[in-house]
Amino acid sequence: MRRFNLIVILLCFLVPVDHAMAQAALAYEAIQPARIKVGESAILRVTSFGRLKDITLPTVPGLTFEYLGRQQGLEYVNGTGVDASFIQIRVTPQFASVFTIPALAPGAQAIGLEVVKGDEPNPYRFPSQQPAPPKLITASLPKGEQLQAGGAVFVHLAIPTRDIYVGESVPVDIELGLRPGIVTTINGLPTLTGSDFTLNNLSKEPERREESIDGNDFVVLTWHSAIAAVKPGDFSLAAQTPISVKLTTLSGADKAVASRMAWGLLSSLYNGIAPKEVKFESAVSTMKVLPLPTDGQPADFSGAVGNFHVSSDISPVAAAPGDPLTLRLHVTGAGNFDRVDSAMLGKLDHWKTYPAKSKFTPNDTVGYQGEKVFEQPLIASQSGEQSIPGLQFSYFNPNTRRYEYAQTQPLNVTIGGSQASGGTPNAAVMAQALQGLRADHPASRHSMRDLRPLYFQALYLATTTGLALLLAGGLFIVRPSAVRASSKAGERLMAKVEAAARAGDAAGFFEAARQALLKTGQSGQDVERLFALADEVKYSHYRPVDKELQHWLGVVRGHLLGEGR
Amino acid sequence: MGRPLVAMLIAILALGGSQAFAQTSPPTYSADSLYNLGNSYARAGKPGLAVLSYERAALLTPGDADINANLAYVRAAAQVPVTAPSRFARVALAIRPSWAAWLGVLGLALIGAGLLATKIAQRYSRMARSGVVLGAALIALTVSNAMLLWPRLHEAVVLVDQTPARVSPAPMADTAFVLREADSVSITAEHEDFVFIRSRGGSSGWVASASLEEVVPRSPRL
Repeated sequence: MRRFNLIVILLCFLVPVDHAMAQAALAYEAIQPARIKVGESAILRVTSFGRLKDITLPTVPGLTFEYLGRQQGLEYVNGTGVDASFIQIRVTPQFASVFTIPALAPGAQAIGLEVVKGDEPNPYRFPSQQPAPPKLITASLPKGEQLQAGGAVFVHLAIPTRDIYVGESVPVDIELGLRPGIVTTINGLPTLTGSDFTLNNLSKEPERREESIDGNDFVVLTWHSAIAAVKPGDFSLAAQTPISVKLTTLSGADKAVASRMAWGLLSSLYNGIAPKEVKFESAVSTMKVLPLPTDGQPADFSGAVGNFHVSSDISPVAAAPGDPLTLRLHVTGAGNFDRVDSAMLGKLDHWKTYPAKSKFTPNDTVGYQGEKVFEQPLIASQSGEQSIPGLQFSYFNPNTRRYEYAQTQPLNVTIGGSQASGGTPNAAVMAQALQGLRADHPASRHSMRDLRPLYFQALYLATTTGLALLLAGGLFIVRPSAVRASSKAGERLMAKVEAAARAGDAAGFFEAARQALLKTGQSGQDVERLFALADEVKYSHYRPVDKELQHWLGVVRGHLLGEGR
Repeated sequence: MGRPLVAMLIAILALGGSQAFAQTSPPTYSADSLYNLGNSYARAGKPGLAVLSYERAALLTPGDADINANLAYVRAAAQVPVTAPSRFARVALAIRPSWAAWLGVLGLALIGAGLLATKIAQRYSRMARSGVVLGAALIALTVSNAMLLWPRLHEAVVLVDQTPARVSPAPMADTAFVLREADSVSITAEHEDFVFIRSRGGSSGWVASASLEEVVPRSPRL
């Protein structure tokens, strides 16, 4: 009875669920996979609970739909099998994009399909699906090298086998093989033994690869560099690297005891293995350095050894007089670029040349290959079509074993806005606008050799200065005449006498007259009479009448100015 | 036989002498020929060279109405600012500088003679004083003429349109401002291939010498 009640209760729960599913999830669509590449296809599956009528294939630009078939079966919902109809459609994209496929059955929803070109990573890939580790490359020990530090280290110097020339830069590789776990640290960059070579531009970050050598895993570090010989001769050279490796520190006796008393235990008890810094050297290589031939050495040879090519350009190709142009010489190739030099253009007619600057852009890590660009500013002083002569660069080619020349082609530039052919770009417009000029003048015979006005010319200035000095000297030399001098003094004294007469001051008049006559050294009877009258006026209060005063004024004027005498 | 040889020798010597004279003789300037040359340049659409020729012609005859009219006309056509001369400048530049120079000499002589006369003879003192005053006036006229023309000796005319004036005398230096063709500038300094100029607007900068031509050439190129 209890079991029956339980079944009834379950049915009471299931019926609404079934009814709800019939109402809400009448049909749905799914596409697998949801992300495909161009050229692949996906399967669109339409599921309907209940009877599913035939559907019409949608029209989506870029997608092709192909009806595959219909099936009947059970669809399990929450563990319960429900009758359902399935329709399968193949979807094939024509290009990469994100498509939206509309709902095909009532109650279903539109779904998306992402189509990629094929080279993008799949973002839906399970994160744990990492690529399998590559299998180690099986390699052998470099020729001539031996494993050191108990088989944990090897150093190899790879150099060219041919003879090189003094100053020539040749690429070299320094390989360092290490067994992980035994080698603890690298305590410095590799160096070359001996001072006959210079190691240039050693790469700080070595290339790293893993190899299996003699059945043991090695990490091989490779430094790229270039060496240059400073003098001719036969030389030996090797590379060395300071490394810390785990080495046993036990003596021979300790090792014998340890071998009898279980090595692993003793090594742990007495710490018989410790890191130790050791410099490991590569096998010695020999190299023959030849001197540069003196025969045929160009005068402008700067020491460049290698294989080079040159080209040139100028910008802008059209400019106005006075505008700077930049002439560039491009030297590309392989060799000792530090010795690649060019004086560019020296003195060039109608051009002002400036010192050149250079810039090197390497194409590798060691600066053995690359491009060196020389830039020289130029300024044209003359207008018209100008030609820049070709540039020449000499170097020694170690392959052909002789000096070679690389030469560029001449460059043509147009210097506009000139005095001869230029004018403004709108010269025609300007000429048209200037039709209202006043007419020409008839040619005159009068001409001058200097545009500077006459008073700015040296000859004129010298002439006028001489004339002025002459006149000044004349004025200094010529003395005024005695008569003229006395008359001037007489004028001054006479002015005082006249002033006293005009004022009616008889005492002042006779006193001024006496002083004037005394100063000018006048004498005579009338003068003595005037002196006597002056005394009378001064001491006896004699007052002459105006007529008498005018008389004596005339006498004084006659003596002082010579009037009426 | 001998006479043709002598004649040929004389001809060769004469030709060589004339060529040597032509090479060594300095160029001569005429106000009228410079004015006509400026007209030719103006009609050819070269305002820079036209203004340069007019400026040179005006240096010889500053009071010439045709020269001043065409100079102002070409500057206006080239969209270069034109400044009208002051009344004082018109008066002072009414006579040719060469005449002004000789008038200055005359004025100097009058002053000297007047001073000497007043020192030597009293009888002509009034006349001597008048001579001194007249001489001083003539010298003042000459000095005014010279003062007004003095700046033109250091002027130059821009011959290339859109000439950059740079902040330093280097080809790659930044451009401070740009000058128009036919613009007049004054040169205050020079450094290698650059001259330091001051424009009529008061701006200063370094300009390539090749873009300018001085009104009074030190080494004539034209």
